[in-house]
Amino acid sequence: MRNGQLIVAAAIVVVTVGLGATMASRVTAQTRVDPATGAPIGAARPPVATRPPAATTVPPRRGGRVDWQGAVGGLRQSGGASETLGANLDKAEVDATRVPILLPNDPKLTAGARIYSFGDYYTITADAPGAGISLSGTTAIVPLPASRPLKIEPLGPEGLTVQRTVDGQLASFLRYGVLYTVEIRCEKAGDLRCADDNYVLGLVGKTTTVVLGAAARAEAGLGG
Amino acid sequence: MSKLIPPLALAVLALALTACDPKTPAPDAPPKPPSADPGPPQADDEPVDGGAEQDPSEPLPPSPGDPVQPAEPPAPSPATFDHGPAGQLPSGQGSGYLDRTVWAPAMCWPLQEAGFANSQVYGPGGGMGPPGKPSQCDSLNYSLPWRDNFCEARSRTSPLCGSGTGHQGQDIRPATCKKNEHWAVATEAGTITDIGTYTVTLVGKAAPHYTYRYLHMQMSTLAVAEGSKVTAGQKLGKVSNDFGGTPTTIHLHFEMRAGLAGVTTDGKPVAISSFIPPYLSLAGAYQRKLDGGTCS
Repeated sequence: MRNGQLIVAAAIVVVTVGLGATMASRVTAQTRVDPATGAPIGAARPPVATRPPAATTVPPRRGGRVDWQGAVGGLRQSGGASETLGANLDKAEVDATRVPILLPNDPKLTAGARIYSFGDYYTITADAPGAGISLSGTTAIVPLPASRPLKIEPLGPEGLTVQRTVDGQLASFLRYGVLYTVEIRCEKAGDLRCADDNYVLGLVGKTTTVVLGAAARAEAGLGG
Repeated sequence: MSKLIPPLALAVLALALTACDPKTPAPDAPPKPPSADPGPPQADDEPVDGGAEQDPSEPLPPSPGDPVQPAEPPAPSPATFDHGPAGQLPSGQGSGYLDRTVWAPAMCWPLQEAGFANSQVYGPGGGMGPPGKPSQCDSLNYSLPWRDNFCEARSRTSPLCGSGTGHQGQDIRPATCKKNEHWAVATEAGTITDIGTYTVTLVGKAAPHYTYRYLHMQMSTLAVAEGSKVTAGQKLGKVSNDFGGTPTTIHLHFEMRAGLAGVTTDGKPVAISSFIPPYLSLAGAYQRKLDGGTCS
């Protein structure tokens, strides 16, 4: 393998921008909500003061193109669920997301969900009793050399795979040209939801509601 | 400290490591170098999992055999300090992943001070450690050279490992065998997207938005909360042995994940979110820290 092939981020263009040195709290203002009661969960820890970043990056376009036609079809099929479930998420973060957001048809789970967007990548964190759920989508995909195959068996037409992690189960699949993940992490080692793939596959099965924020709607040609 | 590192080198190391925390004022006292005499571990430091990060009732899988060597000659490591080759696991400990890709070439070293990458399971005090060395604080664990332990025998899924299962990250012991003392820091600018019972997840702001998972910090004293936007080198929490109620060894389990596109072993194209080997990225980051580099 040539040295040039080793540096994956060689294509990443780093642009340094001048930023103020003011210390500022940068904790995202999203409220955690108990999915069972709908009551806000108290802020466990105070906001953390951080420096503004000294540099920002301009990410290259990696991965495939979004199938916007398919995503808009999914949006239509989602009907009112798109609006009702999507309303639980921080609107600014949703609007900054340039890929279709997928949510499970589970109002209880999405009630207190928090979304963190990076444009071409988003991740949603939700709470279930005794477990944490993460839902993410991205078009930023790193190509592996053909000489480094992956020992895993995809299931079904969307290339669904499930991996067992230290603390749970991680499923990923391709839809609309986007790589989506659904993950559960259990607080207790013996939790049956994390012991096998039944729970996470069930969650994948109901993760069909499409939400398009402003950036995604613009890319899809839907306008604001 | 290790007999392998002379005292002068330790002093240089301590100074160099201090230089890599751009936000932290110089401490009143110089950072403590790794110590070979950290004192006996506390009663609650005894790992119930042998450092394996898996249910004690679930045995480690048998070693799948020696790793397959790549056809290409090994590329030079990005580091010159004493560290074993990437993917080279001792016989009987699993098949290492022999790719030499430095996945995050600009990554910050995830500890504020020195650290020792090696096996929690097969080192002294581990569940399959050498006989006659029952203490996780044994100086062998706090000495160079580093050892890669990505793909070390585990029952967890790890598709880049030859068997399809294996250790999903790299274990790193902190500068000394003392818990709740040594800071873990952010490897790059990003957002803390999740905090579990013994996990902290950082997603990088820059593409490809690597997901870094830090396991076994002291969760009651974290310096960040979910939603915190952090800069490279910012303190996250102190390395400990938290493992959801039952202690593991004192170490940081460090994971990197990314969206990966490739082919399966039987030739099918596939795109998955999965684990990538962090060892050479860590080695490069540590070398930059030793060289006095900063992480901002």
